[in-house]
Amino acid sequence: MNGERKVLIEARDLTIGYGERVVLENINFKVHRGEVFAILGASGSGKSTLLKHLIGLYPPASGDVLISGASLVQAEGETRQAILRRFGVLYQGAALFGSLTTFENVRLPLDEFTDLPEQAKDLIALSKLRLVGLESAATRLPADLSGGMQKRAGIARAIVLDPCVLFLDEPSAGLDPITSAGLDALIGQLARGLGITFVMVTHELPSIFSVADRAVVLDPKERRIVAEGPPAELREHAPLPWVRQFLNREVA
Amino acid sequence: MPANETTELTVRWELSRQADGATTLALTGELDAISTALIWERIEQELALAKATALKVDATGLSSCDSAGLALLYSLSSGSMTPGAKVDLTGLSPDLDHLFRSFSNDDYEALQEHEPDCSFWINDVGAAVSTWLRDLREQLEFIGEVTIAVAVGLMRPRRMRWKEVLRVFETAGVNALPIVCLLTFLIGMVIAFESAQPLEKLGAQIFVAQLLGLTITRELGPVMAAIMLAGRSGSAFAAELGTMKVNEELNALQTMGLSPVQFLVVQRVVAGLLLTPILTVFAMYAGLLGGIPVLLGLGFPLRMVLEQIQHGLHFGDLAQGLCKSVIFGGIVASVSCLRGLQTGEGPRAVGESTTRSVVSSILLIILADAVFAAVTYVLKA
Repeated sequence: MNGERKVLIEARDLTIGYGERVVLENINFKVHRGEVFAILGASGSGKSTLLKHLIGLYPPASGDVLISGASLVQAEGETRQAILRRFGVLYQGAALFGSLTTFENVRLPLDEFTDLPEQAKDLIALSKLRLVGLESAATRLPADLSGGMQKRAGIARAIVLDPCVLFLDEPSAGLDPITSAGLDALIGQLARGLGITFVMVTHELPSIFSVADRAVVLDPKERRIVAEGPPAELREHAPLPWVRQFLNREVA
Repeated sequence: MPANETTELTVRWELSRQADGATTLALTGELDAISTALIWERIEQELALAKATALKVDATGLSSCDSAGLALLYSLSSGSMTPGAKVDLTGLSPDLDHLFRSFSNDDYEALQEHEPDCSFWINDVGAAVSTWLRDLREQLEFIGEVTIAVAVGLMRPRRMRWKEVLRVFETAGVNALPIVCLLTFLIGMVIAFESAQPLEKLGAQIFVAQLLGLTITRELGPVMAAIMLAGRSGSAFAAELGTMKVNEELNALQTMGLSPVQFLVVQRVVAGLLLTPILTVFAMYAGLLGGIPVLLGLGFPLRMVLEQIQHGLHFGDLAQGLCKSVIFGGIVASVSCLRGLQTGEGPRAVGESTTRSVVSSILLIILADAVFAAVTYVLKA
């Protein structure tokens, strides 16, 4: 199935870290257009660090990140901005601006990056809020929203410019199982309905099995990808026992 | 009507009006955020001129359409561009239908009707007075709590976190010395220059030295040291405690059975009480040193200047300045910590409490200075 899809993101010989400390070495993987791709691994394995390199927040020590074949690492100025504008990012804490209402948070990218009439901006922002089920909370401040609502508002803001790819950093962290399942359903709906590609870092096994098409598992000791494939397949047939145990939630 | 096309547009539209007013708008091409922004008002104007009785929007020719394009289609289909006309939208691809259904005029109208709460001015005044009184009560309670906590801490010195006191002493005191000295040095120079001119007319320029000594020792030394402490270290106290509150570290302390006042505030207040007199002494010296070169420049020998300063100053002046500085130090440290502990939710609240700490500290320093001046005047009289 993936052979038919175009490659949207490619990590090529990517080595990342902080200063002298190398977190991951020679990482290679491809994310195809329209798929939900999960980055898995134990705490401290470098999942969030990898995500931050994929979205261009940090430059890699070596290697490249290609977006539709174009290098994000080499890109500068307007070219880089054009690539970044195709991304939507949901941070772990949703990162909503506390001084703006939910609606204003969602509308902000439209104000900054489009010349649309005011009515159009309002309609688009409200439609995204309705998509995530927050239309009635439009005028509330982020501080008045629950954790799950903040995450959904963060997703609404991330998709307001119709990004090709949405990066999610621990989308279900700190949420109750029902809200978490609702968020998974929303991700599936957005991936299938709008064709958005998802790259998500998560620990939530139910989320992985319900929404992810493919996953990579990172090993903090070997500092590389040790398994790649559909999560259900990895759970049964991953070559390393600890990966199977990890995905089956078994204590080693 | 001829088709409208420009080179930069990725979309074309054609408006055809029948004799009975029934109008068809056919869109072809790619309707994205850029092209939608360019054509929105033009379509709106053309439809207003057409005075359509019924509008058929044909989207069959659209090869792609993003949220901005859907907003245009929704605006057309909701009739907002053709009031009174029946609108029919056809040809929207099934893939976009789900997204199109997320647009809602009810949401839009609810947003337009929503107005921020606007209260009557009497309510605002009442709320402000109530807040001020509550704040005053909290300050008094806090002063009491801190006084007891400091007394307990000093009576049981082993339980005091002296390492933290030393850290605050270093960051708020030692590290602040250069800037405090520079500031008061320059102020000393300014006072000497400014007072030399009027005193020259009276032939009493030598009294600049006495004036400088008294002003720096009794007023400007303690006040400037305290203001610098408020701006440099008080704001840091408020921001530090405020961030701890936002990160729920204060809640963690409380659930461990530790009092934030005992654990965090006492050390800062003790350090503030100890370091302000020392800072003030340095400020006094720097102020006098700033004025001396001016007097030398006016032609007075160093010995005479020093004698004049010595003659004009008494131990009481120095004691008064140092007493004030201890009180100012207590005010700055405790008020800044209080503002930090009063921080609300979110990063904005940290900024607000930092500002409030500086404003409150400076206000209270000046107020305390005025009270001091009045009391010493009455006592001397």
